[in-house]
Amino acid sequence: METLSTATELEWLGWTFYAGSAGLVLLGCYALFAARHALRLLLGLFLLESGVNLFLVAVGFRPDAAAPILVGEQAGSMVDPLPQALILTAIVIGVGVLALGLALAVRVAKEEGTLDLAELGRRLAATHTPATAEETLPQSGRTETP
Amino acid sequence: MNASVLMIALPLLAAFLLPLTGPLARWVGPFAAALNIALGISLWQTVAQEGPSVVVMGGFAAPLGIVFRVDTLAVLFATALAALVLILWPRTSADPRRESALLLILLAAGCGLAFSGDLFNLFVFYELIAVASYGLVAASRERLAAAAGLRYLVLSALGSAFALLGIGLVYALAGTLNLADLSRHADALNSPLGLAAFALMLLGFGVKAELFPVNAWVAEVYSTATARTTALLAGGVSKLALLIVLHLVLLVYAQPAALSLLLTLGLLSIVSGQFAGYRAADLPRMLAYSSIAQLGMIAAAFSVSGEAGVLAGLALALHHLIVKPALFLVGDGWPKCVDSLAGLGRAEPWRAALFVLLALSLLGIPPLPGFWAKLLLLKALLGMGEPAWNLAAAVVLLGTAIEGAYLLRVLQTLFRGTTNAKPATFGGALPAGVLGVALLLVMLAATPVGGALQRAAQQAADVPAYVADTLGGSPQ
Amino acid sequence: MNDLDLLLLVSIGTTAVLFAFGTWRWAGALGTLLYALQLALLAVMRPELPLASGIGFEVLGYRLQWSLSGLGWFFAIITVASALFSAWFAAGEWGQHRRNLRLLHGGLALNVTAMLILLASDDLISLFIGWELVSWASYLAMVQRGGPAMDAAYRYLVYALAGALAVLVAIAMIAAQSPALDFGSVRVWFASAGNGTIWTVMLLTMAGFGVKMGLLPLHLWQPAAYSESPGPIAAFLGAISSRMGLFAIIVVLAQLIGLERLGNLPVAFSFWNANEFWAWLAALTLIVPTFIALTQNDARMLLAWHGIGQGGYMLLGILIATPLGVSGGLMHVINYACYQAALFLAVTAVAHRTGTTDLDHLGGLINRMPLTYVTMLFCIIGLAGLPPMNGFVSKWMIYKALLDAQMPLLFVAAVIGTLGTILSVYKLIHNTFLGQLRLEHAQVNEVPISMWLPMILLALIVFITGWMPGLFLDLVDEAVVAIGITQLPHHLGGVDLGNGGLDMLWIVGVLLAAIGIGAIVYFLGNRSVRVGQFDNYAGGQILTADVPYQYSHQFYAGLLRVIQPWMRGGMAWGERALVSGADFLGGAMSGLYRAAPAGAYLLLAVLAALAVTLL
Repeated sequence: METLSTATELEWLGWTFYAGSAGLVLLGCYALFAARHALRLLLGLFLLESGVNLFLVAVGFRPDAAAPILVGEQAGSMVDPLPQALILTAIVIGVGVLALGLALAVRVAKEEGTLDLAELGRRLAATHTPATAEETLPQSGRTETP
Repeated sequence: MNASVLMIALPLLAAFLLPLTGPLARWVGPFAAALNIALGISLWQTVAQEGPSVVVMGGFAAPLGIVFRVDTLAVLFATALAALVLILWPRTSADPRRESALLLILLAAGCGLAFSGDLFNLFVFYELIAVASYGLVAASRERLAAAAGLRYLVLSALGSAFALLGIGLVYALAGTLNLADLSRHADALNSPLGLAAFALMLLGFGVKAELFPVNAWVAEVYSTATARTTALLAGGVSKLALLIVLHLVLLVYAQPAALSLLLTLGLLSIVSGQFAGYRAADLPRMLAYSSIAQLGMIAAAFSVSGEAGVLAGLALALHHLIVKPALFLVGDGWPKCVDSLAGLGRAEPWRAALFVLLALSLLGIPPLPGFWAKLLLLKALLGMGEPAWNLAAAVVLLGTAIEGAYLLRVLQTLFRGTTNAKPATFGGALPAGVLGVALLLVMLAATPVGGALQRAAQQAADVPAYVADTLGGSPQ
Repeated sequence: MNDLDLLLLVSIGTTAVLFAFGTWRWAGALGTLLYALQLALLAVMRPELPLASGIGFEVLGYRLQWSLSGLGWFFAIITVASALFSAWFAAGEWGQHRRNLRLLHGGLALNVTAMLILLASDDLISLFIGWELVSWASYLAMVQRGGPAMDAAYRYLVYALAGALAVLVAIAMIAAQSPALDFGSVRVWFASAGNGTIWTVMLLTMAGFGVKMGLLPLHLWQPAAYSESPGPIAAFLGAISSRMGLFAIIVVLAQLIGLERLGNLPVAFSFWNANEFWAWLAALTLIVPTFIALTQNDARMLLAWHGIGQGGYMLLGILIATPLGVSGGLMHVINYACYQAALFLAVTAVAHRTGTTDLDHLGGLINRMPLTYVTMLFCIIGLAGLPPMNGFVSKWMIYKALLDAQMPLLFVAAVIGTLGTILSVYKLIHNTFLGQLRLEHAQVNEVPISMWLPMILLALIVFITGWMPGLFLDLVDEAVVAIGITQLPHHLGGVDLGNGGLDMLWIVGVLLAAIGIGAIVYFLGNRSVRVGQFDNYAGGQILTADVPYQYSHQFYAGLLRVIQPWMRGGMAWGERALVSGADFLGGAMSGLYRAAPAGAYLLLAVLAALAVTLL
């Protein structure tokens, strides 16, 4: 903070936060659109979450303010504490979800031999449809609706 | 300490102490859930006598601090969730400790969500529920359960990220996340950007609420997860997500544009769910699609401003909370393909009869409780007196007719011909039976239950009282 | 506890007892006695009408209450009496041969209970509850034989469910605007409602209640559903089940909206009013199904198609809105119940002995089953509306009322319908009883007394009330007054009107005298020679007994060649189009959900939502 002194520069810093968060969100969206591999999707998700977190930082950002930590008798303005608390929680949850996702991905890779989510979706859709039904009763197709 | 805080703290504590309990681990969970029900009932009585109350945490008063609002609606949801968790508690499990811990976390987070009075806590508890549900889904030993779980996780986490973005926007625009405070500053959100924030939150939370374009996980997960997990997700978790939406439209976004958006998504859910269910070839998927449509109806009800909408949505939600879990449990163990159900009605008459009862109530056949819920829904929709909501009544009509066509097909198949297959084990007999009896009890006690719901809806729809309760007499 | 509570209690008890003891050998007899008890209770409560029940609930601010008006009482009498005769018939040899009749007896009793609850309803919600109970009870009665019966019942139930939902939407519409839903308040609400609102409510309720009545174009489910059910059940359903739809329609059109208001309700872009609109729909309902009945080759299907058409007469009569028309329409309900039940029982008796109801495989049974023949003869004369049977009286009243009300075109339509009826009922009796006896039926015997007695009794009622229509007109009065129409002056023999009346005592007397003279000539002349049924010749060729010479296949081939081009099955086509539309949408929607890309829908939805809200 010491290196940036003028108010304009500080404002510019706020705008870079917004720009950076937008960039990260768009990057994440692109990954989610384009990728099919689970790890890439999770990575894209992580980028997107980072972007959202950065956005929250930007929302709470105030030029010329200190971190919202009470140390002794500190006076002067502080950065809004609420978004920071929100981000902290979000980051923790995000990491937890990512870990869980990776663990699941490992299990899926072992069981199915692929991490292509579109392929997994096709396999899921194919279960229990009449074509592959394991049941042995004679099938008359779908019940005729008069 | 207030009972509402205990309802969150006790299950959490139990979840963390679970590894230390040794041989008692099996009983910790059900005990905690039962305790939560007892706490819920005592809270219910308190609220009935003294009216809604506000619990302030951490020494900061609203709007700065964390507040819990304890009103009839919240107590109802928290208690219903605790009851559902207790009823659906797994009897046998491969890894009882882990599953118990997840269920307890889900219970605690669900209660927390019901009581939360600000968007921040709503989001945190929602995420906690989500994490617990990923674990529960993946715990199934069905083939492809992990794959369904992974796809579900990606979608849900993406939704959460967008919801968080929406919350950030709200904060940027209104400068607060406390619902009561937001209600006072609702004008600040009455702008395109504010509406965009609502859309982001709606779509984000809509993942769990099974709303139309973001619910692709529903059929996959419900047909691979264990029946009890499915029942919990369809019956309990989805309603909690809709509760957040209700808070939003009731307190913050009572503007026509937001209501129209919610109505549109609800109607699309009804149409897509019912028609997809019409073509579903296996029972869990059919029930999953029906669940999408039913939640769409609740969303449509919540899109009606005022008490009528809350009442209709509440009745539909509680009805679905009883019926759909029971339907999933009854279908558990039967062959999944609908055509293979032939003759099971003769082989297992009581189980089939239970299925019939539940299906009829789902369709809204009087005098079963589903009828009253549907009547309230239609009345609320038509009471708006606007073309879009009149159209919604027609969509509900069409959707229910389609739902009737496919559910009747199942009933018909159950009693057609005979089967020489051995009766399948009915693992969910006890919970499904309990839910069925509960349904019948509600039917018999329609008068008092209806009165209680009316009071809850009245209290929830009284926005000025909500704001005054939470913020005290603080100056505007 | 008053008589109505007692009646409902007895009816519910009957259902419970018959479900519990349905497999018992004498369950049918027990049921008959219990129905007789209910009938007695109905007779006792007549002076107390309208009678409010002490039972009532209050749910969500709506009061559910029951009260039997004269209209409901009139329909209740028919319901219970139809059940009595059906149970009696089933208790005879027909039932003794069948092993498990729990569903039949219990289902019948459940139907009666549900109908009584419907008939006694006094607010829209209890009406709806009764309506759904009736729908599901008749489903239970229809499915009993499995197989095609289940398909027919499924079709019925989908129709009924969609119809009931339409009614529910109408009720919700009223509930959203009217303070209460009891009939009194709703009547007040209707009086103040605008034309558009009334049309919406009316179309929704007619769509719902019209399903049960078989009002065109909602009738397609009915023939198969009725004719696939077991004989006595078919008789009961045919006699009264559809009339529940008529009852509800009368409640809405006549009691709630009011026939006068109906006449002042314009149809947009035309010179019609609502009354004429429904009257023409009723006329279509009485013509089209009647001519479709002509083409049927199964006795039960033929009768079931007729049932739809006869409903058209009743609705038409009531919509004329004069005392004569309404009395005629309502009297047709009870007349029709008598002969339709008897006809279904007679066909069931034939099927019991020969094992078939296929009109191409019957014939010449007149000597083998004379009593069944007499039953059918009496009843088809009634169905065709010819003297001296009761069907003539009600149809005469409807014709006369149409002419008096200056509706000549509707009169012509009614006569065309009657023409079709005469033709097709003649096909029924000819192909079953007349012509040449088939070899495989040479040893067939008349059904035992336990089966023919209820049939013959019904046939006698058809004759006696045709002779003395005043007996039924007395009952009709209760209903007419409850609708709010002035009572029709009548006497034992018929009605007296300013411009001519009807005295059946005379007509039947003359007819009997003519028959007597004919009989005297016939017997004194003694010129008849009895010829065996197989003693036939054609074209100079003596036919041996193994070559039947029976005109039954493609009956009315010439007539059908003329009218067949008109029967394009447009309504069946419409139904198929609806189903394939639903199939298509279903395919599209499940394709949407099936293997959906992991996050793309959400991203697209977010994009769309942002675009909508921000741009």
